This record gives sequence, structure tokens and C-alpha cells, in this order.
Amino acid sequence: MASIIIEAAGLTKSYGEICALKPLDLSVPEGEWLSVMGHSGSGKSTLLNLVGGLDRPTAGTLKVGGEDLLGRDEDGLARFRREFVGIIFQQHHLVPYLTALENVMLAQYFHSLPDEAEARTALERVGLGRRLKNRPGELSGGEQQRVCIARAIINSPRLLLGDEPTGNLDGSSTTMVLELLRELRSQERFTVVMVTHNQEVADWGDRTIHMDDGLLVREERKVF
Amino acid sequence: MTRRRWLVHLIFRALLYRRGRTVLLLVVLAMASSLATALGMVSFSMGKRVADEVRKYGANLVVLPESARLDVGSGGLSFGAITEPAYLRQDEVESALVKSGIAAERSCHLRGALRFRNADILVEGVDFGEIRRLLPWWQLRGGWPAAGEAVVGSDLAARFHLKEGETVALDGPRGEVKLRLSGIVTSGGEEDGLLFLRLPELQSALELKGQLSTVRLLIPAEGGSLRTRAALLQQFLPKAKVTEVRQIARTSEGLLAKVKLLMLLVTVVVLVSAGSSVTGTMSTTVLERSREIGLMKAMGGTRWELLRIFAAEAFLLGVAGGGAGFLLGCGIAQFITVSVFSASAQITPWFAALSLGISVLLALLGSLGPMISVFRLDPVRSLRGE
Repeated sequence: MASIIIEAAGLTKSYGEICALKPLDLSVPEGEWLSVMGHSGSGKSTLLNLVGGLDRPTAGTLKVGGEDLLGRDEDGLARFRREFVGIIFQQHHLVPYLTALENVMLAQYFHSLPDEAEARTALERVGLGRRLKNRPGELSGGEQQRVCIARAIINSPRLLLGDEPTGNLDGSSTTMVLELLRELRSQERFTVVMVTHNQEVADWGDRTIHMDDGLLVREERKVF
Repeated sequence: MTRRRWLVHLIFRALLYRRGRTVLLLVVLAMASSLATALGMVSFSMGKRVADEVRKYGANLVVLPESARLDVGSGGLSFGAITEPAYLRQDEVESALVKSGIAAERSCHLRGALRFRNADILVEGVDFGEIRRLLPWWQLRGGWPAAGEAVVGSDLAARFHLKEGETVALDGPRGEVKLRLSGIVTSGGEEDGLLFLRLPELQSALELKGQLSTVRLLIPAEGGSLRTRAALLQQFLPKAKVTEVRQIARTSEGLLAKVKLLMLLVTVVVLVSAGSSVTGTMSTTVLERSREIGLMKAMGGTRWELLRIFAAEAFLLGVAGGGAGFLLGCGIAQFITVSVFSASAQITPWFAALSLGISVLLALLGSLGPMISVFRLDPVRSLRGE
């Protein structure tokens, strides 16, 4: 039986009067692909930010990879992110003045040492071996997202978080990105937590949780 | 690739990407540091130049003997006071100058009266070498005197119809003194009514060996206030009166101090304006780059690492601006000193360090506020574009 990588109990997040995440219990086994579905404002991105150590919960407990995130200060959370987590955003968030290769090397810089050969290999794995020296402005949306995937996996994270990573892509690019993620997961054996509001994208996961108004309202497990 | 090399690479990429803003920051830093450096150089050069100019006006301190003063009167009636001649001891003056540590050029004078053609005339014993350095405005017709010679003031020469090369016989306490007149001097002052001879010869003629009536000192303008140094010398010469020659003191010190203060104020204003400009530009840059900063934090960059990147960026800008500012400052200083003082600016490596220091400090201080924003920036909110 796989070990548990994410373990949350009574996890709550409030912004002043607004409760973005109501007490939530969640357990994610290592290697699972968990899809988080819900409308805007349902609390799915809040959950992702808490799990990724980008934000701090108001109440409850949260352990990721056995690490208690509540006990960490801001810089401690940053160190956790660089060691454990790879993140893919809907808006890509690539640094505009760096090439595809340099964007990947930037993640290496914050983790350990920039290694050009390793970054080149990561980009070749996502099919961008011939676009290494191109800047984000010279790449298509799908290519930019593949740079983001290479950047997210370069430090061999145990947890890959996707915040609507296919939200800005067309149908073929979406399929290409999801297939790439599936292939990489089978090789790297990382856990995926992906936020989406698209049922078809969510269906790529092993399990889907549905959120509404900050509450986990339904859970579906894929039947093989 | 090492982390440091990557950091430099990253900074250069960021600076080149925003080249318009980078050039603006470099111009501001270069202008501010160049002006501060140029004014510093001018100020430094000016001190020496003014000292040279002041030298033309002669002594700026005079040491006089404190005259013995006797009040004359009876009961409630006062008839005033009488004074009797008093003298300075030459060895005491020399010793006081050594003890006070005051480096000054000096001329020693002894004044007295000798009989000439049944009249008392004023004579003064001097060292003609000192006179030539400290009283450069003297116009001499003829030659400077050797032993047994004298120069006569133009008014006195006219009064007694004296001519250059003539020998005069003067009567004093030790009998007759014969002197050949080597020249006639015109100064436009009281000196024109005197006869000048070598100091030891007059001291001997008046039986006042080792005695002086006046010592004139030329103290360089740089190295402290003239008043302070006068007071210091006075401590070592309690029986004398050390007095500033006011006009010269004002010229050498007051003018220099005011011009330096003006330069300092201009520099402060320039630096404050430049600092504000750097702050404004850096704040805009940080605002524009907030998503990038949020991304770096999301990738695991700690607050201190991000601060290091922005501080290094400001530092590199400061170094580049300071280097350019030094070169520009040398040009400005050279232009000012040549135009105003007809002399080259004194450029030393010390000013390069000053220019770099000012520019780097300005860049770092100007970036302090924006860097605090970087430190505090919340990655989630900045990635959302808030």
C-alpha cells in the first residue's frame, strides 16, 4: 500500500470574514493523480496553495511528505516548495527575458545549482529540444506550458501541482500536455494534484474531489 | 554554472530587458556621482589654489609685543596712559612656533629711529629673503641689499633727495652706521617712508640684539581655522599679542568656507533628488516585476534570496553609474578649474572610490523601499496580479 503524501485534517482558510476553505479532511496517497473540481470561488485554488506551501491555513493540520507545514515560517515554506513541489500555472508565468532553457535553469538556481545539460534534457523530454533558445514570447501557448512542465519537474519533485494548467490551451494542446504529464508521472512517480473546472481534464486523474463554497462535497474514484 | 555566475547572468538579462529604465537609472547615478565628485575635486583643488592666491596678499597673522601700559592720574582724575617701547624675544617666538606645531612662513621686523641729517627717521631691520616671499607687491628699483647695504622707501628718498648707489651715514646709540643704498622701494604703504636694512645690523645699531618689534606670519588657509591657530600661538606667547590681519583672514577662510558650504549644499540637493529618482524608478520596476518576484518565491526562492538579487542589481547599477560618474566628474572638474582658476584639477584615485561609494550608496538607499516591498510580497497575490 502506498504511503500518504498529503494528510489534512480540519484544514481551514479564512480571509477576514470570508471563509475560503471550510474544515476539510483529505488524504492523498503517494503517486496518485488527484483532480480538484469546482466553480470559481469554490476553494479549489486555496486548497492547492495550502498544499503547495504558498499560503498558510487559518486552522487545522496539514502534513505534506511527512512535513508539518504549520510549523514552518515563510522562508521554511519556501525551502519546502523548492524541495518537494513543482507548480504549473494556467498563466504559465515564465520570465519574459529568459529563454526556455534559462527559465528551467532558474528553478535549478533556487533548488541547488543551475545545470544546463540537465535543463536541456528536461526540455527535450517535453519535446522542446529545438526551442531551447526561444523566449516565451516566441513560443505558442502549448509550448510555453511544456516549458512550465519541464521547469516543474527539473528538481524531481514528489508533488506536482497544476492550477488549471490547460485552462488557456486549445483541445489538441490540452491533450498533448495531459499525455505528457501522464508519461512523466509514470517515469518519475510523482503525485499530481490538479485543479480544473473541466470534467474531461479531471477524468485524466485517478480520483476527483468536487468543491463548492469551500466544502468538499463529492468524491469520485476512477473505475478501471 | 556557479550560483554567483548565474545570478550575474540573471541580473544582466533583467537589466537589458528593461534597457530604457536601466539607462535612466545609470544616467541619474552617473550625474549625481559625477557632480559630487567634480565638486569634491574642485573644492580640493580650490583649497590649494586659494592658498596660493592668498600668499600674494602677504601675512595673515601679526605678532606684536604687549606694550607696557602705565595709567597716569591722581585720585578720580585720569590723564590717560603712557606706553613705553616693548619688544619680542626672537628666540621665544621661534620656540612658540615649534611648540604650537604651526607651520608658517614668517618675516621678523625690528623698527626704530636713527638720526639722519639732523632728523629722526624710521628704520626697519628685516630679512630681505623673507620680505621677498611675504611682501611680493614691493616694487624695487635697484637691487636687494647685501651686508652693509639698505633700501630706502620712495617717499623718504624724495624727502632727502637720495639716490640709488649713494652712501648714507646714520647715528644711533652705538655711533655712526654707514650704509650704501642698493635700491629704492615703493609699496604704496607706510613702507615708502622707511629705510630698510638687514635685521642683525639694526639690532646691533640699536643695541637690541635678539629683539623684534613685529613678526608677520603667513599661515596656509587649509588645515584649520586661522582664529584657532592664532589662539593656540597666543598660549605659547603670553607676553605678546597675536592678531589676525582681518582682510586676509576673510579672504582666505571666509570665502573658502562659504564656497565649500555652497558646494556641499548643492551636492546634498543633487544627491537627495537623485535618491528620490532612483526610488521612484526602482519602485516602478518592482511593481512591474511583482509577478516575476511571486514566481521566484513560488519556485522556492526565500525572501533573503530575492532581496539579494535586487540588492545585487542595485549594486551593479551603482558600480556602473559610479564608474561613469567618475569619468564625467573628472571632465567637469577639469572644465571648472581651468575656466575659473586657470589650473588643472587635482585628480587622485581617492576620488574614484568616492564616486563609486556615492553611486553604490545612492543605488542601495534608493532601492531600500522597493526592496522592502520585494521582501514582503505575497507570492499568491502577486501571481494573481493583485
